[in-house]
Amino acid sequence: MLKFSYCNATDLNQALVQCRFAGSFGPLSSRRRSPRAAVSFSRSNLTPIQAVLSCQQQVGSDPVESELGSLADRLRLGGLTEDGLSYKEKFIIRCYEVGINKTATIETIANLLQEVGGNHAQSVGFSRDGFATSPTMRKLHLIWVTARMHIEVYKYPAWSDVIEIETWCQNEGRIGTRRDWILKDVATGEVIGRATSKWVMMNEDTRRLQKVSDDVKEEYLVFCPREPRLAFPEENNKSLKKISKLEDPVQYSRLGLMPRRADLDMNQHVNNVTYIGWVLESMPEEIIDTHELQTITLDYRRECQRDDVVDSLTGPELVEGSKIHGTNGSATAITREDDLDCHQFLHLLRLSSDGQEINRGRTEWRKKPT
Amino acid sequence: MLLAAITTVFLAAEKQWMMLDWKPKRPDMLIDPFGIGKIVQDGLVFRQNFSIRSYEIGADQTASIETVMNHLQETALNHVGSAGLLVDGFGSTPEMCKKNLIWVVTRMQVVVDRYPTWGNVVQVDTWVSASGKNCMRRDWLVRDSKTGEVLTRASSIWVMMNKVTRRLSKMPEEVRGEIEPYFMNSEPVIAEDSRKLVKLNGSSAEFVRKGLTPRWSDLDVNQHVNNVKYIGWILESAPLPILETHELSSMTLEYRRECGRDSVLQSLTAVSENGTDEIECQHLLRLEDGSEVMRGRTQWRPKNAKISGNVGQIPADTA
Repeated sequence: MLKFSYCNATDLNQALVQCRFAGSFGPLSSRRRSPRAAVSFSRSNLTPIQAVLSCQQQVGSDPVESELGSLADRLRLGGLTEDGLSYKEKFIIRCYEVGINKTATIETIANLLQEVGGNHAQSVGFSRDGFATSPTMRKLHLIWVTARMHIEVYKYPAWSDVIEIETWCQNEGRIGTRRDWILKDVATGEVIGRATSKWVMMNEDTRRLQKVSDDVKEEYLVFCPREPRLAFPEENNKSLKKISKLEDPVQYSRLGLMPRRADLDMNQHVNNVTYIGWVLESMPEEIIDTHELQTITLDYRRECQRDDVVDSLTGPELVEGSKIHGTNGSATAITREDDLDCHQFLHLLRLSSDGQEINRGRTEWRKKPT
Repeated sequence: MLLAAITTVFLAAEKQWMMLDWKPKRPDMLIDPFGIGKIVQDGLVFRQNFSIRSYEIGADQTASIETVMNHLQETALNHVGSAGLLVDGFGSTPEMCKKNLIWVVTRMQVVVDRYPTWGNVVQVDTWVSASGKNCMRRDWLVRDSKTGEVLTRASSIWVMMNKVTRRLSKMPEEVRGEIEPYFMNSEPVIAEDSRKLVKLNGSSAEFVRKGLTPRWSDLDVNQHVNNVKYIGWILESAPLPILETHELSSMTLEYRRECGRDSVLQSLTAVSENGTDEIECQHLLRLEDGSEVMRGRTQWRPKNAKISGNVGQIPADTA
């Protein structure tokens, strides 16, 4: 899935000018007609009750809206932050997004990250076709491709919890851009997760990665904070960790996975989030039953089409100096001698037909909270 | 025989409700800032808005039928909870609890006039009515929040089952006393499609897809497959030419059996054309040993066909 999103405008007027490509339905344009709506949702210091009351004053009890897009804006509950350098949105967890642990699944989290990224792009006027490309990128037939996705969840939200996700992006190297996210529980204000992703530019005709000139970059970088801002500022953090390739023979596998219709996005590619589900398919059940996913890192290598058949492989990640702890005949690697509750795994998704690597991954698991 | 088949139930509804540790209502939940929904119409209709998210859009550029069904499921649960029909998180009223009774869905009918697209906001209204002497009917009406245009209508039938004996139960008078005040007793939102659903087999089905297995994310808290996933599986064996040129306009489903993590399913489809642009298909979802999980019938119209008729323009402020 080749969606991407951009950052906020340091100069809102410039963003509005670029909005003309997105058409008149852009949230930014409707916000100009309803300044009250903009104010209540771009201020991040309103308590939920205050936000609710200001919303109520506008909505009354009649859900039919005459203003284009304004109800969508209210329900989307998202907007650029005051400095214009990031985007925040609130989401309520729905019942069907909750899994066997009574909490939101990692796929739900990943979907919401993708959603807020797309809404951010929309809010600064980039395309709605799922590619989130700037006008110049479209002229040059350039699209964004995910290279790496890294998500850490410290506390999974439950049904009807409200979370707030903040996102922004920054330049990374000659051809790359990074998008970061921070997830918070609205009720408590605590950070419940962080994520970062790396994107590269690809020519959609040649399907080859492409370096871009500075003025192409400037067009979207104008919305990004210039001062480096990292969701993972700590040194040697796990989002940078190299993922080794899992070699045969592997310990766990689930073969013959096929994309379902529901896995295809609006551009007929297998959605990025589907790969997360496939990676987890070969996880041993004894871990799934007793542990929850703390960290997942995926390197995307090759995109998947509707008719591909995929094998999912999993094996313990062997860390230097770690002990191998045998339980019931299976070996799992423990990170620290005193921490028998953490497990780390390496993953590989490859085509069943010729073994070509689709992506590789790494996960860390912690014991479920009682 | 039919009743016996239904008694091997798939507790889809019960399982959904069992995962609820229902929280007491917070004051801010009475208003609807995050699309939680609210009771309208003298407490009989529950209304909730949904903004269509980008990942709910399918290959057709519109919200998928699974997205539509997910919204229906969410509003049903929220209605039951907020209207006080949900006492213990099991969907059972106090009298039902005393008698070990739970609700199970047996039949579902959905008619889609238009699928919403990314960024649309839909308003879902839901209410319950009596159905015969012993069943309950839950109806939904989905509209475009902005225009009031009717997008989808759906209707489901629920029966009571004793969760210990697994036998269907007539509605006890005590239970009727509890739930009757919540019945709208309106006309069904969809005229019932009473044509029998045929049972397909290997020779009558032109299209078969085998080896369908649930993924972790298909399972609810009790490790049973969510109802809505069955619909995706039914469509897995629908022929690609139909999927590419037509869109699902209506479906009728009969739920027979639940399935879990280790189930391996087969999806069978037979196509019958009736001489017009519309196509009709019969479906069967079954386990490898032949036991039926679900029967269905779907109707398809060419994409971008105009919807004629007078169902469209009910103003949004009347139920």
